Amino acid sequence: MEPVRYVDLLNQRYQQQGFPPYEWTVNTDTPLTPPTKPLAECRVSMLTSGGVSHCSMPAWDAHARNDFRLDEVDPGAGAADFTVNDSYYDTTDASIDVNCVFPIDRLREQAAAGLIRSVAPRLWSGFMGRIYSRSKVVNESGPALFAELVSDEVDLFLLVPA
Amino acid sequence: MLVSTGRDLTSQVLPPRSLFVNFPMGNPFGAPGQIDQQHRILRQALELTWEITEPGTIVDLDEAWPVSFAEKVEKSLLAL
Repeated sequence: MEPVRYVDLLNQRYQQQGFPPYEWTVNTDTPLTPPTKPLAECRVSMLTSGGVSHCSMPAWDAHARNDFRLDEVDPGAGAADFTVNDSYYDTTDASIDVNCVFPIDRLREQAAAGLIRSVAPRLWSGFMGRIYSRSKVVNESGPALFAELVSDEVDLFLLVPA
Repeated sequence: MLVSTGRDLTSQVLPPRSLFVNFPMGNPFGAPGQIDQQHRILRQALELTWEITEPGTIVDLDEAWPVSFAEKVEKSLLAL
């Protein structure tokens, strides 16, 4: 199967609903910081934007728009302790096994196997749903999360949109 | 390091490094209970951090979803 052309499909959907053309974020360059240590010496954290919440937290609003809530996730939490609420993709498989979108078990196992040094003290769940306030992401919530990653001495950050 | 199921979306945003997984949204690390598959994808994502040297590179995972997922795509679009 060829990669899905989500941009075209979403543009068509918006047009059918009478919206003006959506102004997509299109970046023309990006920074890249080379790693400074081997993978086996790295502390790894991970973010899901797939509407994943621990049972101790309120469930995400599956139809969220501009929800800037950001949950800290205990990396020791069991995969069965999560719920998935997100109307923007088919959550059937993620609800059966959260590792499909948020491989928390797998990450712990890779640390135990020595592929990475450790899992960070906090994983993250947020930026889910539709985020239209790009300036808030770029100027506030993104830098705030970065500061937390620095505080946790994270070497490698995995970002997983659903 | 981004693990993506939307190649065209990712190519617009242009993260420093990306692994594109041509699976349905909701399955970037594979199918439920498929531990070996989940490990393969996770391991590749982690190791690519060292292999990618050109900013904005998107590497395509060399695995295919076993069936068409057009129905899942339609379901996600209906949420708009």
